Amino acid sequence: MTDRLSMVVSEGTFDKAMMPLILGTTAASMGSEVNVFYTFFGTKLLTKGVKPKLPGMMRFFTGMIVGRMKKMGIPDYEGMMKQAMELGVNFYACSTTMGLMGVKEADLRPGVKVLGAAAFLKMAQESNVSLFIG
Amino acid sequence: MDKNATLDAKGLMCPMPIVGLAKKAKEMKSGQVLELLSDDVGAKEDVPAWCSRTGHQLIGTEEEGKILKFYIRIK
Repeated sequence: MTDRLSMVVSEGTFDKAMMPLILGTTAASMGSEVNVFYTFFGTKLLTKGVKPKLPGMMRFFTGMIVGRMKKMGIPDYEGMMKQAMELGVNFYACSTTMGLMGVKEADLRPGVKVLGAAAFLKMAQESNVSLFIG
Repeated sequence: MDKNATLDAKGLMCPMPIVGLAKKAKEMKSGQVLELLSDDVGAKEDVPAWCSRTGHQLIGTEEEGKILKFYIRIK
């Protein structure tokens, strides 16, 4: 049986945006199936053209951190998202919080699927690793 | 050590050497040897972990100053 990693992302800040992409691209590179479920403030991260910022006052330093990561060979959010999708990482938006956050299906980047909690929980229950990023 | 290809991941930090490794391994044939060069200290543990999960065989490691060299036989 293939390994399966399932993650829940509930925050929409830059740090919470990057962590599942770093873990997700690594797990996919290790042969794992990867499912990432975005809920509450995380849902916005799946919209087209989003540029997440660090939380609170730290948001003014987002560019500096992105620059430092670039020097380490790590792409920005958009680049990491593309890499993850190329590696076959599955991205899911929580149907209920889409309504709550004002995110429409047409706002989502191509390839993102909309799911309910039961469908995601089934995936998580059938995973060998489940992580909560929030 | 004899090798069929080299992946130079110097200057790249986690997770990029591993992502690059997975992509390169897919392009190579079974039995071929891939050399990975990295200066990410995390790679010391990451590369053996990647090998043990993917089934590719780590056949040797060398250290030259800050440069880590890994030799991987593609499964």
